Amino acid sequence: MADVVFKNVHKKFGDFIAVEGLDLSIEEGEFVSLLGPSGCGKTTTLRMLAGLEFPSSGEISIGDRVVNDLPPGKRDIAMVFQSYALYPHMSVEKNIAYPLKKRGVPRSEQGPMIARVAEMLQLTPLLSRKPRQLSGGQQQRVALGRALVRDPKVFLLDEPLSNLDAKLRGIMRAELVELHQRLGRTMVYVTHDQLEAMTMSDRIAVMYDKKLQQFAPPQEVYREPANRFVAGFIGMPSMNLIDGDLSQEGDRWMFRSGSISVPVGPLVADARGGEACLGVRPENLLLGEGPTPAVVQLVERTGHENIVVVEIEGGLRMTGRVPASTDWKTGETIQMSIQSEAAHVFAAGPTGRRLNIASVAVRP
Amino acid sequence: MIKNKQTKLERHYATLGMMLIAPTVLVFCAVIVYPLVSAIYLSLFDIYTPTLQGEWVGLDNYRELLGKGEFWASLRTNLIWTVGTLSLQILFGIGMALVLHQNIWFRSLARSLILFPYFISTVVAVLVWRWLFNDLYGILNHLMMAAGLIDMPVDYLGSMPNAMISVILVGAWKYFPFVVIAVLARLQTIPDSLYEAARIDGAGPVARFFDITLPQLRDVLVVIIMLRAIWDFKEFDLIFLLTGGGPVTSTQTLPLLVYKEAFSLNNMGMAAAYAVAMMAVMLVFMILYIRKTGEKDA
Ligand SMILES: Nc1ncnc2c1ncn2[C@@H]1O[C@H](COP(=O)(O)OP(=O)(O)O)[C@@H](O)[C@H]1O
Ligand SMILES: [Mg+2]
Repeated sequence: MADVVFKNVHKKFGDFIAVEGLDLSIEEGEFVSLLGPSGCGKTTTLRMLAGLEFPSSGEISIGDRVVNDLPPGKRDIAMVFQSYALYPHMSVEKNIAYPLKKRGVPRSEQGPMIARVAEMLQLTPLLSRKPRQLSGGQQQRVALGRALVRDPKVFLLDEPLSNLDAKLRGIMRAELVELHQRLGRTMVYVTHDQLEAMTMSDRIAVMYDKKLQQFAPPQEVYREPANRFVAGFIGMPSMNLIDGDLSQEGDRWMFRSGSISVPVGPLVADARGGEACLGVRPENLLLGEGPTPAVVQLVERTGHENIVVVEIEGGLRMTGRVPASTDWKTGETIQMSIQSEAAHVFAAGPTGRRLNIASVAVRP
Repeated sequence: MIKNKQTKLERHYATLGMMLIAPTVLVFCAVIVYPLVSAIYLSLFDIYTPTLQGEWVGLDNYRELLGKGEFWASLRTNLIWTVGTLSLQILFGIGMALVLHQNIWFRSLARSLILFPYFISTVVAVLVWRWLFNDLYGILNHLMMAAGLIDMPVDYLGSMPNAMISVILVGAWKYFPFVVIAVLARLQTIPDSLYEAARIDGAGPVARFFDITLPQLRDVLVVIIMLRAIWDFKEFDLIFLLTGGGPVTSTQTLPLLVYKEAFSLNNMGMAAAYAVAMMAVMLVFMILYIRKTGEKDA
C-alpha cells in the first residue's frame, strides 16, 4: 500500500515555480531518495511533505490521510535537518526527549524510550552534554535520535550527511541503511550526492528543473535512464553524451556524428530520424582496440582503475575507464570503438527521452 | 642561542604591548579612577558647596548617612523605581520586538517609529507627559472622564502611589525602545530551522516561545538587564523634572538625594558620601547578578 503520495503537486513562491506537477507514490517501508542538482526543488518537496510549506495546488497524503491542511506536528513524521537544528540550550537527553514531552508522553515512559534510542545510536555517554560540546558526527546522531525516539510513520531527511567529512559520511551511510532495515519505516531522503542515493535507496526520484525525471530503483536508473538528464547525472564519471543525427537505413537505425557511425536499436515505435543524442557509459567505450583513432588528453589514476579522456577527429572528447595496468601517456594516439549494443539513444534537448528499448547489456 | 633570541623577541612584544594599552589605561585613569577617588576623598570631608572649603571628618558622613532614615527611604524608593520601570521595559520591549519580528506590512516604518521615545530629549518628553498628566487641563483626565472611567480628575503626579506609578510608566515608555532594538537584533539571528524542528516535534506557538525564543534571548537579556538596571538606578533628570522627588520625598531616589544634599543643603561632603554609598549598592547587586547568571550557564 502506498504510504506517501504526491498528486499533481505544484509549489510557487510568488511567481517563481519551485516544484511542478509532481506525482510520486512511495510504498510503506520504502527508502526513497530525492536526488538532483542544487535548486531543483528537492528540499521544497520534502518541506511540503513535512508541512513546513504548503503546496500551491495538488494533494499530498500520508497513510490514508490527505495532509494538505495538517500542521507538521500532526502528520506523524520526523525530520532530520541539514543543519541538525538541535536545541542549543538543551542537553542531548532533553533534545531527544522534546518530541515526547510535547506529545504528552508520561515522564516514566520517556526514560526507557530515550535509553533505547541512545543505546542504538551510541549516545548514552553523551546524554548530559550540550550540542555545542559534540562533534559534527555526534550532533548528527542526536538529530537522528530526536527523530527516532517517537517511532513516527515517515522519516524525512534533508541532506543529513552533507556536513560530515567523507569517511564519517561512509560510516553514517551504512548505519542509516541498517537503521532503515531494522525499523522498516518509510524514509524520504534528500540528497544531491548520487553515491548516497545509489547505495541507500530502494528507489530514487531524480529531479531536475522543478520536475520529476525518473522514479525507479538505483540499478534501473543507471541502466535505463529515462532521459538525457538522468543519463548524464547518474554515474561517475558521467556518461558520454554525443549530439548527432539519427537515421533509418532499411530496418536498422544508424547514429552519426562526425567520424562516429554506430548502429543503434531497437528503438521505440514512434522514434523519428533527425537530431538525437548518443549516450555511452565510460565502461562501454572500448579503448585500445577498434577502428577509430583517438588522442589521449588526460589520465586520472584512481588506484584500481584509470579514467582516460580521449579526443577524436572533430574535437569530440570522450571518457573511458580502463584497468589500472594500462599506461598510456598524454598525447599518445590509441584506437577506440563504441560498444554499440550498450549505447543509449535520446531525443534532442536537455531532457530528451530515451528512444532505445532493450535493457542495455553490460560489458562482458 | 635560539632561546636567547626568542626571549628578546618576547621582551620586544611585551614592551610593544605595554605601549599599545598605555593610552587606554591613561584615559581610563583620567575619566574613571580620578573622579572615583576624588568622590571617595570628598566624602571624608565636611564641605560647604559654594566655597568648596571644609574640614576632615573621616567616616562621620557615612556614620550619619547609615543612621539617617532618609538614606534608607531613598534606597527603597530607588529599588521600587528601578525594578518597576525595568520590568515594564523588558516586558513591553520583548512584546514589541516579537510583534515587529513578524512579517507585517508596516514593519520597517514601525521599527523606526518605535525609537522615537528613546531619541527625544528627556526634558521635552517630560514636558509633554506633564501636560498629559495635568490634573486640571490634562488630556488624560479629560479622556478618562469623557469615557466615564472616573468622576473626578486624578492627581497623577502630586499624590501617592500615583506619582510613583506615573514615573515608572514614563520611564518604561522612554526606555523600552532600547530593549526592542536589542531583542529584535537577536531574534533575527535565531535560525528558522529551530522553530521548524519544534513544530515538527509538536510544539505550539507558546511552547516555541518558551522553549526556543526565550532561551535564545537569554544572553542578550542578561546584558540588557544589566545595562538598563545601572542606567535606571542612577536615573536623575526624568524623575527630577517629572516630580522633583515629590510629593514630599515619595519619589526621591538616591540621585535626587545626592543633588539635594549637594546643591540645596550645600553639603558636598555628605553628597559625595551618598554617591559612594549608591555605587556600593549597585556594585553588590551587579556582583550578585553576574554570579547568578554566570552559574546557570555552566
Ligand atoms: N521560501 C522561498 N522563497 C522563494 N524561493 C524559494 C524558497 N525556498 C526555495 N526557493 C527556491 O526554490 C528553488 C528550489 O529550492 P530547493 O527546494 O531548496 O532546492 P534544492 O533543495 O533541490 O536545492 C530554488 O530556486 C530556491 O531558490
Ligand atoms: Mg536543499
